[in-house]
Amino acid sequence: MNCLTEDHNLEMLVAYAAGTLDLETAQALEQHLAGCAACRSAAAGQIAVWKALDAWEAPAVSPDFDRRLYRRIEQGVRLSWWGRLTRPFRAMPLSQALPLTASAGLLLMAGLILRHPGPIAPHRDIVRAKQVERTLDDLDLLRQFGTPDSTESVHRHAM
Amino acid sequence: MGAAAAATLDYDAQLMLRVKEGDSPSFGVLLKKHRSSVIHFVYRMVQEQGVAEELAQEVFLRVYRSRSTYEPTAKFKTWLFRIAAHMALNWLRDEKHERGQERLDDASTDLPARQISDWRLSVEQKLVDDVKLDEVRRAVAALPDKQRAAVLMHKYEEMEYTQIAQVLGCSESAVKSLLYRAYETLRVRLAHMGTI
Repeated sequence: MNCLTEDHNLEMLVAYAAGTLDLETAQALEQHLAGCAACRSAAAGQIAVWKALDAWEAPAVSPDFDRRLYRRIEQGVRLSWWGRLTRPFRAMPLSQALPLTASAGLLLMAGLILRHPGPIAPHRDIVRAKQVERTLDDLDLLRQFGTPDSTESVHRHAM
Repeated sequence: MGAAAAATLDYDAQLMLRVKEGDSPSFGVLLKKHRSSVIHFVYRMVQEQGVAEELAQEVFLRVYRSRSTYEPTAKFKTWLFRIAAHMALNWLRDEKHERGQERLDDASTDLPARQISDWRLSVEQKLVDDVKLDEVRRAVAALPDKQRAAVLMHKYEEMEYTQIAQVLGCSESAVKSLLYRAYETLRVRLAHMGTI
């Protein structure tokens, strides 16, 4: 039998300490332990560790654990999109929340401005150009239709 | 998922699939079954009862919230403990960062003075037991986080190496190595406690 101090024999060492090793293997191991001080020490140490860990009991669970959990689940279900959005900031003190809100506002404004860079002037120029064009067209029309009348009126005045 | 695949699923995974389909009582069954083991595991990891329960609440909340995307790729318990270990390891990392391992370093300083009257044997025995348990707690707390998680899952949850490997995201041989080193360290620290 190989020594228990080798890591591939961990399972055997643990099983021996836990008392779950089958009888045949346990007997073979004990024969080995009788002649191997290192393994004897490892086995005794592992048994001590096992007993020590067995003695460590975790405290009882709070009786309201489930109730608190279900309340949180219910709150999560009820939470609106605005609630989800603002949830990370709720537990924050005002001194931290204010600068963060201000920064978020500035970023939002910067984003809006960058999305519409200097939009008004070119648009206005285009409108003006169109208006001038339309006025010239109108004048052309007036000239075409108005010339005979105007010449007629001039003649009339002269007469 | 086909019927044959569903048949090979463990019962807990089947329950979780029912939760996915909107059957809330199945979540209650899973909670009842695994509540204590998750809280105890997290407690032994972080060693603070209040923190352990808060983290365990987060674990079950995450389980519930991820119901719609749940796929039974591993045993349910493995998946559950993956979340629990993740929460505990993250908390320990943040806590260490904040406190600089203050609690582990002052191991020998905050033990109460034990001056016991000879005539109160039961009280004395209780105090001795308390000291021994405190020693166990400190020995486990002094293990590196992953070794600690591996030992706790191995010892108290009786999880197989493959399951522990899946929880910790490492190979089976890495788990064996973690456990070997952890038990070796504990043997050195706790060998004198064979009579506890």
